[in-house]
Amino acid sequence: MLPKINAPFVEKVLVRFVRDELGKCGCRKGLLGLSGGLDSAVCAALAVRALGPKRVHALIMPYGGSFPQDVRDAVALARRLGIRHDTIDISPQIDLYFAADPKASRVRRGNKMARERMAVLYDHSAREGSFILGTSNKTELLIGYGTIHGDMACAVNPMGDLYKTQVRELARHLRIPPAIRRKAPTAGLWPGQTDEDEIGLTYEELDEILCGLVEGRLSRREIVAAGHAPAAVDRVLKRIKASEFKRRMPPIAKLSPRSVGHDFLYPYDWGK
Amino acid sequence: MNIALAQIAPKLGDVAANFEMHTDILEQARKKKADLVVFPELGLTGYTLKDLVEEVAFDPRADRRFGRLVARTKGLSAVFGFVEESPSEKGLFYNAAAFVADGRIVHVHRKVFLPTNGLFEEAKFFAQGREFRAFDAPFGRVGLLICRDFLHYGASYVHYASGADAIVCVSAAPGRGVGGGDAFETGRMWELMGEALSYFSTAFVVYANRVGIEDGVTFAGGSFVFAPGGRLVGRAAAVDPDLLVCPVDLGAVGRARRNWLFKRDEKPEVIWRSLERIVRATED
Repeated sequence: MLPKINAPFVEKVLVRFVRDELGKCGCRKGLLGLSGGLDSAVCAALAVRALGPKRVHALIMPYGGSFPQDVRDAVALARRLGIRHDTIDISPQIDLYFAADPKASRVRRGNKMARERMAVLYDHSAREGSFILGTSNKTELLIGYGTIHGDMACAVNPMGDLYKTQVRELARHLRIPPAIRRKAPTAGLWPGQTDEDEIGLTYEELDEILCGLVEGRLSRREIVAAGHAPAAVDRVLKRIKASEFKRRMPPIAKLSPRSVGHDFLYPYDWGK
Repeated sequence: MNIALAQIAPKLGDVAANFEMHTDILEQARKKKADLVVFPELGLTGYTLKDLVEEVAFDPRADRRFGRLVARTKGLSAVFGFVEESPSEKGLFYNAAAFVADGRIVHVHRKVFLPTNGLFEEAKFFAQGREFRAFDAPFGRVGLLICRDFLHYGASYVHYASGADAIVCVSAAPGRGVGGGDAFETGRMWELMGEALSYFSTAFVVYANRVGIEDGVTFAGGSFVFAPGGRLVGRAAAVDPDLLVCPVDLGAVGRARRNWLFKRDEKPEVIWRSLERIVRATED
């Protein structure tokens, strides 16, 4: 069973979250990378509702001309939302780097691009005193379908407790244009890549399995009994386990009685 | 009388700001003719304290700021939530709530049930209270509970057995579940249990929750007052701050107990002997 959401209430909670998190730091400006895909579109729409269009800045960061339709969709959405947007082509830095290593795999190239976009966002964040809004959803976070220190990097993440199928529901409520809602989700690491091909499951099935494991606390046996292919469930379980490192700070070797990451424990909102 | 539910968003770790907020809300409630003002769990400190617990703790009978707040309760009653460190138990910190009336501390309850699972880690940072004891307030007999205490039904039974007219629960309950209506699904659980308890106890059930966001967690609000027998007197906003004044008629307790004779026919000694047998068997 897919987890349903009451989209207007989710919007209310997330809008307060964005406003509150930035407000605690005395910051009123939000910054995000706009890919032309669904997650960043929803995040931008939430940011506009939380902060107002004048306080949201979108960076569109294509690698050369490789995804022209996504760039057009991103620009159109930014215009529709009335937010400031800049397009920055990251191909010069990427090409320069890989000129010395032309045999690099497309996964390495894709990860490098994700981290380049992260670096550009953090530099703009420092320049403008704005907060980077994360766009990773719960499905991606759970199966580790993201680049650590790349698209997963952010100051606050309003999207991280929504499964992909719930993001779609929220997108309909937020009136994200059909051109964005209907396209096949892609990490955009290389042309033709789609999430569902790469993961080997539709997001509906993936979210059903994840929701059973995480929300329902069901065992592997119970998920299979509910009608999911054993191989699919195993693949999902393997991905969850293998990506825990992406969801955590790295372990620190403990030496002293009180160590960062072990027993020096303060709220994230400490002193804000 | 009027019961005010002070559904505030405390500032995490900023005790000075929270004292100011409590003082302001107390005065607003006084202007609205409140006789009892109930603030949420850890309202004076914020909830997600972790190692900040020791920095924000104070002794309610010696702390000057708390003394000034207590002095402002002339002519009314209030419940304040804070971290208690008493001089006789240095280094032990309690998640506590004080019932204050007419400028003096009537009772301090220390939370007994400290949730420590999932997103909760209270027993890592707090010592546990060891007693439920109802007390006499200016308007009647009151039993205090703090958040999770309420979900252990033996706790409210003790207040019921000791003749409480009102069971008052202060809370910092995070919202979870967004598949329902215009509030978190967990709010439904609190309200349902409060409603049921108002039947079981034939007493008023007062629930003061907080709002605001700490470390990504949104507190659910939805504070309420039930009169005996499941009559909803008032419900505060979900998620947003509120100061809701609920007019209540304490005569309802006597009337309810003439209609529903649970209290007259209650047999705490039977419950006690039965429990004693169970506890002894567990210890053997």
